[in-house]
Amino acid sequence: MSGGRSMEVSKSMNTIKKATLGAAALVCFLLVTASGALAHHGFAVFDTTSQKTISGTVKEFQWTNPHTWVWVDVTNDKGEVVTWGFEGMSPNFLGRRGWSRNTLKPGDKITVTYFALKDGKAGGAFLSFKRPNGEELSMWKGSPTEDN
Amino acid sequence: MKPASKISRVIARTLAAAFFVSIAGAQTFKRPAPTAADWAALAKLPDFTGVWEVQMGGRPAGDIINPAIGVPSMRPTQLSLTPEYEAKRQALMAHAEEDNQSANCLPPGMPGIMAQPYPMEFLLTPGQVTIVIEAYSMVRHIYTDGRLLPDDPDPNFFGTSIGHWEGDTLVVQSVGFTTQTEIEPHVPHSDKMKILERFHLVDPNTMMIETSVTDPEALTAPYVTNRILKRHRSWTIAEYICEQNNRNFVDPSGKAGINLTPPASATPAPKQ
Repeated sequence: MSGGRSMEVSKSMNTIKKATLGAAALVCFLLVTASGALAHHGFAVFDTTSQKTISGTVKEFQWTNPHTWVWVDVTNDKGEVVTWGFEGMSPNFLGRRGWSRNTLKPGDKITVTYFALKDGKAGGAFLSFKRPNGEELSMWKGSPTEDN
Repeated sequence: MKPASKISRVIARTLAAAFFVSIAGAQTFKRPAPTAADWAALAKLPDFTGVWEVQMGGRPAGDIINPAIGVPSMRPTQLSLTPEYEAKRQALMAHAEEDNQSANCLPPGMPGIMAQPYPMEFLLTPGQVTIVIEAYSMVRHIYTDGRLLPDDPDPNFFGTSIGHWEGDTLVVQSVGFTTQTEIEPHVPHSDKMKILERFHLVDPNTMMIETSVTDPEALTAPYVTNRILKRHRSWTIAEYICEQNNRNFVDPSGKAGINLTPPASATPAPKQ
């Protein structure tokens, strides 16, 4: 598989405009890691067959192991605010790919692209997010730029 | 003093003596203090310093000729299980947990810990190579001081490892693995599994690790895999405390789940 290298983006770019690229990288990543190198756990609880999006306001961004968690307040069609939880890659992984603990702050308006939980609960696997100004950031860039 | 307590004291002393004798037996190798020459000799070894990351995909297809040692590398092979272990594998698959125990923060052991999508750092000191593995904050100790492998090692996750240099290749033998670890997902091994690893640089910033797993009870032939690692001079190893905020789990019935209770510390969202 040569996905890692082909998906490298330029050093100065933190954003990936093509969300599909991120999704392709994720699928690729899951496939290869499923062969014995899975970082922390499998994806049994998520429906990885389709991506969904939801918009809300960041309540907290947990920059923690083994996963980052983004908590987003979402107003449902009854007008109630429900806090959704999205599981992301680890701070170790993301920190080397342009993210930091300040990437998301409480109050940020975002649209999250995610794999839903199979049980339908308010959460999922965090794939990428988009800000109202169009800025988009994926969890799933390929290999970081070589720096040797 | 009452006779009963005197007797118990004698018993305690005898047990303590037996304990220390057995400890001494397990630690017969005493490494001499390193000399200046020992430290200087390290400079002649290949430069393994720094932080390395296994390339995604982990396992290049096909065999790779190793120019560093001038002979063909171990050839990646398919798993070839004995009928007994093939049956065990089938049984594991049939009753597979929805997720593996790493969801509960149990780290993978050897060989899986060497294939994590997290970097590792190599430290070379006299008589020892230490591999600091970021995933789960793990450490492997490889003794290059001439000691022998233990005859009857305690089974553990990483085994007991000794190494030596063959030219520019670090050759590592490991024995003594707990059967809690797997060769691959749902591929069990016996307590007789042995792992041979060859570490070498294929170019100044690319390392190849050739891994050969043998097991007289589980495998009919060595199971060989190759991994390529790239060096990142600007990286440092970060901490990885799995229990910090682990919301994944596999319950005793094997069902996977996730804890969606928001953190108590969550800052209330600003008023709209």
